[in-house]
Amino acid sequence: MASSQADELLTLTKIEAEGRWINRLSKLDLLWFAGLTVTVGVLVDVFNSQFWFWQYVVLATWYVTLVAVGIHWRAFQVAFLTVLSAALLGVWLYSIGQTPANDIILRYVLQGYAGVMWMIGFLLAATSAYVIYLFTLSEKFGRLATGLTWAGVLMGFIGLGVRWRETYIGHPDWGHVPVTNLWEVLVVFCAATSLFYLYYESRFKSKALGAFVMPLVAAAAAFLVWLTFVQHMDRIAPIIPALQSFWMKLHVPMMFVAYANFTIASLIGLAYILGDRSRRSGGGGILARALPSGEVMDNMMSKAIALGFLLFTIATILGAVWAAKAWGGFWSWDPKETWALIVWLNYAGYLHARTSKGWRGKQMAWWSFMSLWVVTFCFLGVNLFLSGLHSYGKL
Amino acid sequence: MTKQSSVGAVSHSRARLAVNFLGSMRLAVSLLVLLAIASVIGTVLNQQQPYQDYALKFGPFWFDVFRDIGLYNVYRTNWYLAIVGFLVLSTTTCLIRNTPRMLREMREPDAIVASAYDPRGMANNIKIISPLSMDSATHMVAAVMRGRGYRPKLHDRGDASMAVIARKGRYNRLGYILTHAAIIVFCAAALYNADIPVKLAMLVGSIRPENNFHIPLSEVSKDAWLPYNNPAYRGTVTVPEGQSTQVTYELVGNGYLVQPLPFRIMLRRFHVSYYSTGMPKDFISNIVLYNNEGKVLKEANVRVNHPLTYKGVQIFQASFVDGGSLLKMKRYMLNNPGADAVYQQARVGQSIYLSGTTYKLKLKGFSLDNVVPASAIESRPSATDQHINLGPSFTYIAQNKSGSGAEFKTYMQPITRDGQSYFVQGVRTAFGIPYEYLFIPTGPNGNIGLFMKYLSALQQQATADSSENTKSYVLNTFKKVVAKYAPSMTVDAEAAYFQSAISAILQLKAYPVPFIVTLTGFDHRWAAGLEVTKWPATVVIYWGCAVLVLGIFILFYLPQRRLSVVLHALTDGTEVIVGGTSSRNPYEFTKEFEEVVTRLRSVLGNQDDKKENVDG
Repeated sequence: MASSQADELLTLTKIEAEGRWINRLSKLDLLWFAGLTVTVGVLVDVFNSQFWFWQYVVLATWYVTLVAVGIHWRAFQVAFLTVLSAALLGVWLYSIGQTPANDIILRYVLQGYAGVMWMIGFLLAATSAYVIYLFTLSEKFGRLATGLTWAGVLMGFIGLGVRWRETYIGHPDWGHVPVTNLWEVLVVFCAATSLFYLYYESRFKSKALGAFVMPLVAAAAAFLVWLTFVQHMDRIAPIIPALQSFWMKLHVPMMFVAYANFTIASLIGLAYILGDRSRRSGGGGILARALPSGEVMDNMMSKAIALGFLLFTIATILGAVWAAKAWGGFWSWDPKETWALIVWLNYAGYLHARTSKGWRGKQMAWWSFMSLWVVTFCFLGVNLFLSGLHSYGKL
Repeated sequence: MTKQSSVGAVSHSRARLAVNFLGSMRLAVSLLVLLAIASVIGTVLNQQQPYQDYALKFGPFWFDVFRDIGLYNVYRTNWYLAIVGFLVLSTTTCLIRNTPRMLREMREPDAIVASAYDPRGMANNIKIISPLSMDSATHMVAAVMRGRGYRPKLHDRGDASMAVIARKGRYNRLGYILTHAAIIVFCAAALYNADIPVKLAMLVGSIRPENNFHIPLSEVSKDAWLPYNNPAYRGTVTVPEGQSTQVTYELVGNGYLVQPLPFRIMLRRFHVSYYSTGMPKDFISNIVLYNNEGKVLKEANVRVNHPLTYKGVQIFQASFVDGGSLLKMKRYMLNNPGADAVYQQARVGQSIYLSGTTYKLKLKGFSLDNVVPASAIESRPSATDQHINLGPSFTYIAQNKSGSGAEFKTYMQPITRDGQSYFVQGVRTAFGIPYEYLFIPTGPNGNIGLFMKYLSALQQQATADSSENTKSYVLNTFKKVVAKYAPSMTVDAEAAYFQSAISAILQLKAYPVPFIVTLTGFDHRWAAGLEVTKWPATVVIYWGCAVLVLGIFILFYLPQRRLSVVLHALTDGTEVIVGGTSSRNPYEFTKEFEEVVTRLRSVLGNQDDKKENVDG
């Protein structure tokens, strides 16, 4: 009797252990975790004497985020490693004295400028593929669209990585993270929006939304083309003293990752509105067939807004910390700051209405869609039409 | 609803009505949107500009109206603060009303079996038939739940039935409490930084801003002085090199207030460093803090992004201007080029009268470095992205009694172009149009003396003898002047010089004033614009921010999830009804629920599955 009890206890313990998340990880996940841990260990060992408190905080945050995101979304592991190795290859080529003038790989693929041009090309092609997919629902085009988007994202981040190194070449005191002018942040925006779109696509298994999200990315890419060939904003320039801050490389990219999520949510809102109309008018329309159910889109929207809101809050706070160092106060009612507050209040209102009042459906889709204009004004409009302390992104 | 006693019911219900109103979600959402809209105003209209600018823009009537509703400093108006105040009040009401309930819910034991935990009433539910006995099935269910991070509680319901209630993320409600508390703390701290006592004193009229910007500190009215022990302030002050200040100025509406500091700030030196493109790379103020007895408290370099903190007061590098550099000038008269040049000196910002003329010179500015692209100077640009430093320059406005005049930008050092050196001066007769550049060749001694001698010789020649052929006398005069004053010049240099001199003479025909002022020396002095801030509540704000982020994270990503399982003993097994619900992300939860059910089916040895397996 005692032994059978012990057996049962053992079985129970086994059942419990099998359920634990740590035991449900695959070998790849463990490898990812181990690889990152070793890398971070090496980084700490090498830079121990140079790091200050906040650098450790940032490194720890990166570590935790990368581990979690990689395990949550396996495709990210591959993407991250691809970008890292390609960018390091580019940096290595520069370090052995190669230049775009004499090295064919640098000239056509790896130099920052080339990477961005590839990104633009891939993303424009991906947009067309998504639109074709929406109308034909052909699996082939669906796969092609996703593949092209991935290619664009990878090239964009590789280009940014190599450009970071390029800012130092020939003029070491110019060096900066490439998020200092409109051209550079638009690259971040295109790549980040596409990456997050791919995440939501894989999570919710819905390729049809690409035809709504990617056109905006394509518009940003087209704007980027204009900035490159007409305004020549792709040229590397030194940065003004106010931008020479540790906080810049945290504040700016995080803002754009938040914008990316808000943008995706807005365009899903548009898809919801149109899909709803299509379903109501008889249910036979293309949209009614292609788009995921209203409930799924509603859920995607709120997930994207929740993530965007969290990141936007952190990024705004980081901006305030930076402002306190650079401008003498954490808040100066600068137009950009005020518009960031407006965006924040807007989404705070959205989240309250959704969680506390339980609002769902069409009105929330409208709210999400209309927020696109608020976000776009905060990102672009303030720099184009209003003056203030944040006037780095001027044309 | 609780029952009310009839005594005081009216006032009681009124208070309740007020509380319900303040705590209502409709009010909260409305206030958020209202605040967002009100905030737009201050971004469309440039805030805190000089009143003259607004008056010019809107005309006298609208200027008054807009001033009275505070559009020139929206974020400090009473009505804006009132909206914020209402939002804080509403948040506080919600927090006070909801916190006790949420804390109770967090602490409450899970084993209370109420109808709310009936699995069949939950968003996700499913029935499994297991061959196991009820007891072992119960333990299996509990083990699966524990493995997934739930905390199962067993409850014997009698009549051969058991319930397993489990919950994960019980602290999700903490997210609500943290976020809302953070907002309240944040707003309170920001109000403290906004220096409410001073605002009240201004409202009452015991503190009045000074409107005259052109008087020395000693003449500023005593009403414009803020108390020495003011808890919070943010002001700016301009300090020339070598001088010091013990106050800072806070701009308010159309005037300013004077804030005394607990120390004296002395600017020892100011320095600007440049990139190779001429863009400023760094602004550095070397400052020393003294106490009243003249003892050095601290010495530091203040740079952009690197402020100095001393006893809660922060000093920031904000801007820089010329602090009154001393300029040594040499003036040649064009209408009497043979006369000796006149030496004069003055400081930037001063105006001087020029002896022997009707002109007044206003010294506008001095700049130590002028970095320009090489292509702007060389006629054949060499490499791309090459920049050269043209050295110091100064600008002045020359004006005669009738008011006509021009603005000049004069470079101190000669600039070499195609082998010949020139004195270079930009001239413009109207403000805002681009400069037109005058190039006068400089002789072997580096100044335009030789040119003036030549000009003088030409004038004398012209008045003395007009019979000679123009071309030959221009050249002959030149040869004579060179032989007399610059005998060392080579033939090539002479030819180049002559060519340039002739074009300079042609350029001078349109020169607006009868004299040329050059710069022979300077004693450069910067003035640094410093921002001085005392915001003691900033630390509280940062902690509030950290709590806010933590709260948002908990709220979104640690949802409260419940599983509820009811087991009924059957004759040859157990009926297991599984239900689940989540406070957030139903879509994600459905996936988790399905995983749990799959797991339960396999460990409970579901008979349906077995049959399928046999069939397959």
